[in-house]
Amino acid sequence: MGRLKAISKYVVIGIVVVLIIVAAVAIYVMQRPSVGPTSVELTGDFEKDVVEVGKALEANGVSEVTYSVWSGGDPNSVMRVLGIVEAAHRINKIWSDNGVDVRIKVETRYERDPGAIYDEFLSKQPLGQAGDFFVNSYIYISTLAEEGYILDITDYAEKYSDLMDDFYPTILDAMKWRGRLYGLPQDTEARPLYFRKDVAACAGLDLTGLADKVKNGEFTWKDLYNWAKQVKDTGCADWGVIHRKGSAHPDLIQFIYAFGGRLYNPDTGKLVVDKEAIYKWLYVEWKMARDGLIPENMMEWDWGTQIHPTTVNGKTLVFIGGTWHWTEWQTKMYYTDPETGEPRGLKAEEVKNFFYYTLFPAGEPGKDPVTLSQPYAWMISSKAGIKNPNYDALKELYHELAFLILVKASDPDINAIHSIISAHLPVRKASAQLIADENWVNKLKNLEIDLSDDVKNQIKDIVEATVNPINTEFLSNVSYMLEYTHTTPIHPLYPKLAEIFKDAVDMVLRDEKDPAGAVQYIISSVNADPDLAAEVEIVGEIPGGWSYP
Amino acid sequence: MSLKDVEVRSRKTEVLIALAVILATLPIIIGFSLIILSSFSKSMVTNFDPKSFHPTLENWINLFQGKSAAVGGLREDILKYTLNTAIVALGVSLLVTLVGTMSGYAISRMNFRYRKQFLLLILLLHAFPGSVLIVGVYFIYRLIAPLALGSITAFSFFYVIIARAALEIPMATWLMKGFFDLIPWEVEWAALIDGASRFTVWRKVMLPLVKPGIAAILLFGFLAGWQDLIYVRTFLAEKTLATFIEYNLGAPEYAEMPLVAAAATLYLLPTIVFFVTSQQLLLKVSLAGLKR
Amino acid sequence: MKIKSKGFFTRRTSEALIFILPALILIIIFYILPVVLSIYISFTPLKNWNLDRYLGEIVGFRNYEKFFYMLQHDPIIRNVFLTTIVFITITLAINVLGGLGLALATYFVSEKLSAPFRTLWLLPRMAPIAVYSLVWYYFFHGSEIGTLNSFLMHLGIIKEPISWGHDIIPWGPWSIIIFVNGLVGVSFGMIVFTSAISNIPKELVIAARVDGASNWQISRRIFIPLMKWHILYVTTWQLLSLLTTYAHIFLLVQWGLVSRQYGTTWSLYIYQVAFTGRTDQGLAAAAGVILVIVGGILGYITLRMLGFEKMITRPRGDI
Repeated sequence: MGRLKAISKYVVIGIVVVLIIVAAVAIYVMQRPSVGPTSVELTGDFEKDVVEVGKALEANGVSEVTYSVWSGGDPNSVMRVLGIVEAAHRINKIWSDNGVDVRIKVETRYERDPGAIYDEFLSKQPLGQAGDFFVNSYIYISTLAEEGYILDITDYAEKYSDLMDDFYPTILDAMKWRGRLYGLPQDTEARPLYFRKDVAACAGLDLTGLADKVKNGEFTWKDLYNWAKQVKDTGCADWGVIHRKGSAHPDLIQFIYAFGGRLYNPDTGKLVVDKEAIYKWLYVEWKMARDGLIPENMMEWDWGTQIHPTTVNGKTLVFIGGTWHWTEWQTKMYYTDPETGEPRGLKAEEVKNFFYYTLFPAGEPGKDPVTLSQPYAWMISSKAGIKNPNYDALKELYHELAFLILVKASDPDINAIHSIISAHLPVRKASAQLIADENWVNKLKNLEIDLSDDVKNQIKDIVEATVNPINTEFLSNVSYMLEYTHTTPIHPLYPKLAEIFKDAVDMVLRDEKDPAGAVQYIISSVNADPDLAAEVEIVGEIPGGWSYP
Repeated sequence: MSLKDVEVRSRKTEVLIALAVILATLPIIIGFSLIILSSFSKSMVTNFDPKSFHPTLENWINLFQGKSAAVGGLREDILKYTLNTAIVALGVSLLVTLVGTMSGYAISRMNFRYRKQFLLLILLLHAFPGSVLIVGVYFIYRLIAPLALGSITAFSFFYVIIARAALEIPMATWLMKGFFDLIPWEVEWAALIDGASRFTVWRKVMLPLVKPGIAAILLFGFLAGWQDLIYVRTFLAEKTLATFIEYNLGAPEYAEMPLVAAAATLYLLPTIVFFVTSQQLLLKVSLAGLKR
Repeated sequence: MKIKSKGFFTRRTSEALIFILPALILIIIFYILPVVLSIYISFTPLKNWNLDRYLGEIVGFRNYEKFFYMLQHDPIIRNVFLTTIVFITITLAINVLGGLGLALATYFVSEKLSAPFRTLWLLPRMAPIAVYSLVWYYFFHGSEIGTLNSFLMHLGIIKEPISWGHDIIPWGPWSIIIFVNGLVGVSFGMIVFTSAISNIPKELVIAARVDGASNWQISRRIFIPLMKWHILYVTTWQLLSLLTTYAHIFLLVQWGLVSRQYGTTWSLYIYQVAFTGRTDQGLAAAAGVILVIVGGILGYITLRMLGFEKMITRPRGDI
C-alpha cells in the first residue's frame, strides 16, 4: 500500500510537469509576432492585389499556403472544387512571373451528397477542421452566415465592382443575407419540363411551338392533363408525368409559383404558406394520381432503377427534370439498348432526338410559366487559412488571398467549362459569350484551352463524354429560362417547411388525404412546431369550387 | 461447440432444426446476395428478373481505381479508407476487451462499495441516445484537442477509438461479469493462497477460462468500430469505408448504385473473414476442453 | 496460510480500484460527462454546433416546453406512440427469443452447418447501416422491382405488386421495421448466448443425454437456468437499445419505403424534429433527457422483474 502511494505521488508530479511544459510550448508557438504587413488594401486590380498579398506573405516568412475546398453534387460538377485548384495555379503563375516566392496548394474533397458535406462542415468548422472553401447550395448561406461560419465578403467585393456587375443580378442576390454578401455565384440551373418526342408523336400530340406556348402562358397544366390523358388512353406510355422523389424542394415547389403563390414575404422576412396555391398544386398531383397519369407511389420510386430508366426509355410523356440531366443521361447507363439489351448511356444525338423541353407551365390560364434555380455559391470559411503558419497574426492576409482565389475561380472560362460539362447555366455574361463561341468550344473539346495539366487530367473523361455542339446548343437554348426563374426563400427554417410539403405530396398521391385535408395537415404541422409557427405566415383560403382540369 | 462426437441423435430432428434455421436465414441470404450480385452488374439487380443482370467487372475496377462514378467525380483512395476503418475497428476492439475483462473481473470477484450501483449505472446509461451524446463528446474534444500538438489526424484517430470504446465498456463489463461468475471460487483461492498477486491470478488463471467471452467482446468491439458512423464522421480527420458508402447512398439521385454495391461488398468481406477466424478460436477452445 | 489482515479493507478496495480504474476513467470522460453536459445543453438554445455562441446562454425550460408542445399538436404523434409501443414489445421478444433459439438450434446441429449460419446472421450487424437499409428497401419495395413482390408474383401468389410499407396500414410498415431491426438485434443475443452455452461443461449435457433427455429438456433444464445472467443482460440491453435506436429505420422512412406515420418510433421522431432541416441540439438534448428518464425507469423495472437483485450475490473471490 505504501508503495502504491509513492508511485502515485510520482505519477501525479510527472503529469503536472508534462502539462506545464506542454502549455508553455503552446503559448510560445501561438504568439509569434508578425514581421511584415498583416493586411493589404485591395484595389480591384487583380494582378496588383495578388502580388501585394504575395509579397506581404513572403515578408512574413510564408512560402506555402494550403487551402482545402469542400463541395458535393453530381459526378460531372467537379469544377466546383477544380475551379479553386485552377485559380490557385493561375495565381501561382502570376507570383512566379512577378518574383514572389510563395505557392498555394489546394486539397480537394468532392462528395456525392451535398447535404452530407454541409452537415460535416457545420460540425467541423468550429473545430477549425472544415474546408477553407465551401461550395454548396445558396440555401445554406442563411444558417452559415447567422452562425458566423462563413466570411462576409461585401467589403472585398466592393473593390471588384466590374466582376460583380458581370454576374446576373438575381443570382448575385441569392448570395446575400441581411444585405451583406457571403459568396460568389458558382453556377445555376433551370428546371425544364422534358417531353418525349416519340411518345407525343405516337399519341398524336403536336409539339411544334410548344415552348413558346408555354412561355406565353397559353399552354398550362390544365392542357398538360389532357395531353397526359391522351397518352395514357392511346397506350403510348405507362405514365403521363413523373417527377423527383424524396423531397418537394426544389422541383415541385415550382407548382406554388406556377399558381401565382408566394413562399416568402420580403417585408417581414417570414416564410409564407399560401393556402390557395398549395391547394391547387396538391390538387393537380392528387387528380393525376387518381386517374393513373402519375404513379401513386411516385415518392417511393427508385432513381436508378425506375425514375431515370422510365424517362430515358420513353415510358413517360413528361419528366419534371433539371438541365443537368441532359448530360447525366449521357454519362450514366440508364438506357436499355433496344438491339443488344445492354444498359448504356445515351448519345448526344439520341438525347436531342428524344427530348423536347419547355418551361414549367403556368398552373392555369392567367398565371405565368416558371422555372426554379438553386444557385451554388463559392463561400469562404471564417477560419480560412487556419492550417497555415502564424494564422492568428496573418488572418486578414489569408482571408484576402482566399477572396482573390474566388475572383480567379470566377474567370469566364472556368465557369464556362463547368457549365458545359455538367449542363448547368453560366452565372456571368462573359461565360455565356464563351459558351456561344464555337471555336472556343472546339478547343475545349480537344483540351487545347489554357488550363493547368492537373485540372486537364482530372476532367478529361467528362470533357470527352459531354463536350459537343449538341450539348452547347442545349445550354444556349435553355438560357432564356433564367428570365422566368424563381429561387426558394433564403430562410433558415425553409428546409423544415419543405420537408412538411414532401409529406403532404406523398399523402395526396396515395389518396391518404384529399387536397383540402393535406393543406390542413401542412398547417397543423407548421403550428405544431413553435419555432416554425413563429416564422410562417399563413395566407389565403382554399378556393371553393375550383376544378381541375 | 456441439455434440457430434458425443452421441448418436435423431437425424430427423437435426434435419428439421437445420431446415428451420435455413428458412429463417433465407431473407438475409437473398437480400445480401442481390447486393453482391449487383456489384458485378451494370445495373442493380433487385428482383428475380434475370434481364436486369448484365455482368461486368467495371464496378470493381472503378472501385479499386478510387472512382466513385464511371465518368466524373474525383479519385479517392479506397485502400486508405479501408485501412482507416481497420485501424478504428481494431483499436476499439482491443481497448474494449482489455478494459472490459478487467472491470468485469473486479465486479464479479471483488467486493467493493457501490459495486451494485456501478453496474446499474453503466447499464442504464445505454438509454441515452447517441445523437444527443455526441454534442457532449464534441465539447470534450474541443477542450482536449489543443493537446494534439500538430498531428490532428493522429489525435482524431486516438480520440475516436477511446470515445467509441467507452460506449462499449458497459456492455463488455456486464458480459464478462457473467462469464467470470461461472468459474468456481476455489480456482482463485488456490492461486491466491499460493502467493500469486491479484493481477497474476487475473492474467494467468482467469482469462484463459473465459476465452469465449473474450471472443465475444473482441467481436462486438470490432463490429462497433468498423461500423461506426457518427463518431467517425464528427471527429475523424479522414474518411472510412463506412462514411464513403454512406455519403454515396445519401445522394441516390446522383449515386452510381452498382459501384456502391461493390464498395459495400468490399466492406463486408474482411469482417466475415474475421468472424470465421474467431469462430475457429471458439471451436478450438471448447474442444480443447475446459478442465473441470 | 498467509492472510494479510492488516489494512484488509483498504487493500481490497484499492485492488478493485486498479481493475476498475480504466473503465471508470473512460466512462466518466466519454459517457457520464457528456450526459451531464447534454442535460445542461437542454437548457440552452444550442444549434449548429455553435458552442461558442450558445453554450453560455440559458433559456430555462424553453426546449422542454417546445418539445411537449410538439407532442401535443403534431398530427402524427398518436401513431408515433402506438408504433413505438408495438415496435419495442414485439422486437424485444424477437431479439431475445430469436437469439436464444438460434444459439440453441446451432448447438444441436453439427458445427459445420452452424458456423456459416452464425456468420450469415452477423451480416445485418456488420453491414453499414445505409447498405443494410438499401437491402430491405429493395426487398420490400412496393413496385415490381421489389424482391418480395417479384418472388410472390413469380410464384403466382399475387398478381400486382403490393406496397408493403404503405398499403397495409398499420401492420405493413410495422412488420417491416420490426423485421429490419429484429434481424440486427437477434444476432446480439445469438452471440452472447452461444458464447454462454460454450462455457457450460459438456459433462452436464452428456450425463443428461445418457439419462435420455431430449434437446428441449436439455435446453430448459440445463442451459437456460445457467444463462440467467446473460438473458437478463440481453433483455435489458436490447430494451434500452430499442428505445433509442433510429438509424436502421431512418433511411427507410426517408427513402419512402414505409409510411412516415407508422414507421417512425419515438427516437426517430426526436431525431426528425431536431435534425431535419436544421440542427437544433438544445431541443434534441431536452428530448434525449426525457427519453433517458423513461428508459431508465423501464430498464430498472425490467431488471427487478428478472431478478437482478438475486443475481448480484456477494462475491467471494477474496481469501
